[in-house]
Amino acid sequence: MGVRRLRGRLDGSAGRAGPPTVVLVATALLAGLGLAACGSGSGSGSNALTWYINPDNGSQAKLAAECTAQSNGAYKITTSILPNDASTQREQLLRRLAADDSSTDLMSLDPVFVAEFAQAGFLQQVPEDLKADFTADTVQPAIDASTWKDKLYAAPFWANTQLLWYRKSVAEKAGLDMSKPVTWAQIIAAAKAESKTVGVQANRYEGYTVWINALYAGAGGSMVENPTAKAEQIKLGIAGPAGTAAATVISGLAKSGVGGPSLSTEDEEAARALFQGDTGGFMVNWPYVWSAANEQAKDVVPDIGWTRYPRTEADKTSRPPFGGIELAVGAASKHKDLAFEAAKCITSTKSQIEYMVNSGNPAARNAAYDDAAVRKAFPMADQIRASLATAAPRPITAYYGDVSLAVQDGFHPPSKVDPRTTPEDTQKYLLEVLKGDALL
Amino acid sequence: MGAISGRERAAWLIGGLVIFVYALFPVAWIVSLSFKSPADLTNKKFLPTSFTKVNYEQILTGGAKDLFLPALRNSIGIALIATFISVILAMFCAYAIARLNFPGRRLILTTALAVSIFPVISIVTPLFNLWREIGLYDTWAGLIIPYLSLTLPISIWTLSAFFREIPWEMEQAAQVDGATSWQAFRKVIVPLAAPGVFTTAIIAFFIAWNDFVYGISLTSTNAARPVPAALAFFTGSSQFEEPTGAISAAAVIVTIPVVVLVLLFQRRIVAGLTNGAVKG
Amino acid sequence: MSTVTEPAPTQAAEPRRARTTDRARQERSLGWKLAGPAFVVMLAVTAYPIANALWLSLFDYRLTDPTNRRFVFLKNYVVILGDPIWWRAVGVTLLITVITVVVELVIGFGLALVMNKALSLIRPVLRTVILIPYAIITVVSAFAWQFAFSNTSGFVNDWFSFLPGISETTDWFGGFWSSLAVICASEIWKTTPFISLLLLAGLAQVPEEMQEAAQVDGATWWQRMYKVTIPNMKAAIMVAVLFRTLDAFRVFDNVFIMTAGAQGTETVSLLAYRQTITRVEIGMGSAVSVLLFLCVVLISFVFVKGFRINLAQARGEG
Repeated sequence: MGVRRLRGRLDGSAGRAGPPTVVLVATALLAGLGLAACGSGSGSGSNALTWYINPDNGSQAKLAAECTAQSNGAYKITTSILPNDASTQREQLLRRLAADDSSTDLMSLDPVFVAEFAQAGFLQQVPEDLKADFTADTVQPAIDASTWKDKLYAAPFWANTQLLWYRKSVAEKAGLDMSKPVTWAQIIAAAKAESKTVGVQANRYEGYTVWINALYAGAGGSMVENPTAKAEQIKLGIAGPAGTAAATVISGLAKSGVGGPSLSTEDEEAARALFQGDTGGFMVNWPYVWSAANEQAKDVVPDIGWTRYPRTEADKTSRPPFGGIELAVGAASKHKDLAFEAAKCITSTKSQIEYMVNSGNPAARNAAYDDAAVRKAFPMADQIRASLATAAPRPITAYYGDVSLAVQDGFHPPSKVDPRTTPEDTQKYLLEVLKGDALL
Repeated sequence: MGAISGRERAAWLIGGLVIFVYALFPVAWIVSLSFKSPADLTNKKFLPTSFTKVNYEQILTGGAKDLFLPALRNSIGIALIATFISVILAMFCAYAIARLNFPGRRLILTTALAVSIFPVISIVTPLFNLWREIGLYDTWAGLIIPYLSLTLPISIWTLSAFFREIPWEMEQAAQVDGATSWQAFRKVIVPLAAPGVFTTAIIAFFIAWNDFVYGISLTSTNAARPVPAALAFFTGSSQFEEPTGAISAAAVIVTIPVVVLVLLFQRRIVAGLTNGAVKG
Repeated sequence: MSTVTEPAPTQAAEPRRARTTDRARQERSLGWKLAGPAFVVMLAVTAYPIANALWLSLFDYRLTDPTNRRFVFLKNYVVILGDPIWWRAVGVTLLITVITVVVELVIGFGLALVMNKALSLIRPVLRTVILIPYAIITVVSAFAWQFAFSNTSGFVNDWFSFLPGISETTDWFGGFWSSLAVICASEIWKTTPFISLLLLAGLAQVPEEMQEAAQVDGATWWQRMYKVTIPNMKAAIMVAVLFRTLDAFRVFDNVFIMTAGAQGTETVSLLAYRQTITRVEIGMGSAVSVLLFLCVVLISFVFVKGFRINLAQARGEG
């Protein structure tokens, strides 16, 4: 009898609850899927383009809307924001691309990732008939960064470079003639003499590689000598005279104490805060700092001067860093033609000028720097253009991610950099990593 | 308790006060930060000089809303669905463990324990690989399924502990009194079991709400990115600006639901947490 | 919180194998029907991926270079185990684990004692505030602590500048030990409540009459603590330590937010993340993941065998 009752009850409860549970779970799962589909519903429609953008002040979204309107219904661009720093942007995009996501119609790529993505077959090659369009009047480093194995994979959109910013009062007191090229050694000495600081980017992140690479290029070296080689055959130029020169600057700056109180965690913003503060002396940074200072530190603005990036060695012209954004089309996109159509609109000279004025990010086409509105917003327009023309891109290699991480690791923290051993050790380590014989 | 002297009472009160400060201090700090104006953020003081809503405006209606609001929606939806599924599954499982004598009860409990100590990061790689092949990458379902590995084991343990305390004989008593088995179940057992189920749901929700590793590894856009992951990717108003204020404001907003749940159900949560783990 | 130890009347005390009764068979099949789905789901979301990770770890496989996928058997493991980076990560992880678990036990015990003795008036209040750190998102806690110690927005330097070695410009995240201190602080703040609640439950199980007897015998407070309270709480303490040790060994969120592994603070979880997600070295990353998994298994094994923690038995599952 107990058995019967047991079964009776179970039929009554569990049995009754059985189907509904399954239904509930299934419904919940379906609801999840359905909602997920709604969440990413931008990919629907035959002319909808998704544009993955790096964060800015909304100027890219504005361009997207304008180009959409201009296309008379040919396509409709929606923007999707990527994270803040370049490495995380790469991670997010890389995973989407590896998942063959068809929503990767347009992507704002940091120039250093074009090679890796192109090599992996993630990017659509630019059609022949658009090549001239995308590269006309464009600064050379931006074209180089968009090219992989002699094929164009992206449209230069904007190009960034760093200047040397200085406080006029400090330079004057130290007796530095800023109208002539200055070296790192000179500004470090000047800052030390005046008890002021030199703002740099030395946190363990991509910005540190930017600085190190510029120092190498300034000494006539390059960190990777045969960028298109396979991992096992890559030749590095990290050790050697250029490495010694670069490491000397870094350790000199760290040891003299002019790098500010938190040199080893300093990024663009920390450098700017330092420069605008009471101990501000010199700083290398992107042009955005000009508009930021005008917004937040008006009293300091009259004291701010700018000139070309400092030299690594006294007898060699400096090679400023190169940054910016290239516009690429995903190989898995279902609307490649439309995407290139949109890229043409987004990277036109007119759009670039508008973007430069709105966002403070410098254009990749030379003509933009003659525009009246640009010159008004950027008193240093000519200096930016001249710097861009001779800027040194970071190594254009498919293994850039590993190169950059290993260099950041090897040279961090700055206070531990030793010109005799650091470049050597970093090179050895990176070679092992590329062969798969070491962790990173 | 025996008579407590005044001095002892004062000592316990001070102890209580210390706990109070210990627990709430960091929360107070992040709340204070979230009300600071951009100029105030770097003043290195605990309190803002003047309260401003600017950070909240930035994430709810301003520049960061495209990042924050979808993330909030994702987090709520994903955490609730994952909680719901794991509580339903755990309910049947715990019932069987508490009431039925079948070989494998220990196996199931041990498995649950093993899964709960599982290093999450270990299975991110294969999951990512699988998800991108079957199209679950960056979807809600793609997060809900791995969340079950976090919420299901604790739900099973907690519910088993609760169900073991239910006097199931009462059901038979009710049946002897002439109720049908369904009535007996509904009128007697459900009210007894409901608090435990509810508590389990809260604890499971906390765990799903808290996840970070799956959130940053298995998503890449607003389609499924949960709040903790979004917090890590917050951006300032320009490409390089520190988003301290926005992060603080968003942190406060996502903390509100858990604080409300704690305030309402603290007694139950404590019972659930300790029940599931310790039974001497 | 009382435990029902006597078996429910419907339970057969001893399932007799000789004659499996009709009813026992039914119970068995029903039990598996009810518990099966949860069991299968648990296995599906963990056992399958870890087996898959084991398989992937035998390859040299880079996501951005899918054509060059090669079978390398155990080479990834050889590389990892011969690499100082791995051992350093293990060391840092163990360091964080030991520091946090020890400190949490001490603080947690203190909190539990206060809550145990607290007047009934403030007990609910204490219970509520103690749950808040437990319930808060780890990432939020990490940001709160990071901002507090940062030298651009934090108040810590300002408040504690009277201490030697701390000034307005102290860079907490600029060195290994100071970074580690902040990481551990955040970890401790967030997880101590959980430990203290477990210990509180343990305290409740200490027989009152034993305490009183000891008091009558003239034992001091310390002696009672040492001779009566702690031995009677052993099970609770061990469970708390085991759970927290395994939890701390997987530490990720705090480190990721605060230093992202800079200053040598990379933990094993972060190393796995870096290989897999950042470098998309699926093979190498899977090998690190498998090794991390084995570490966790090893720790559990040591605890269960070494300290004889039998959780199932502790709960009357014999």
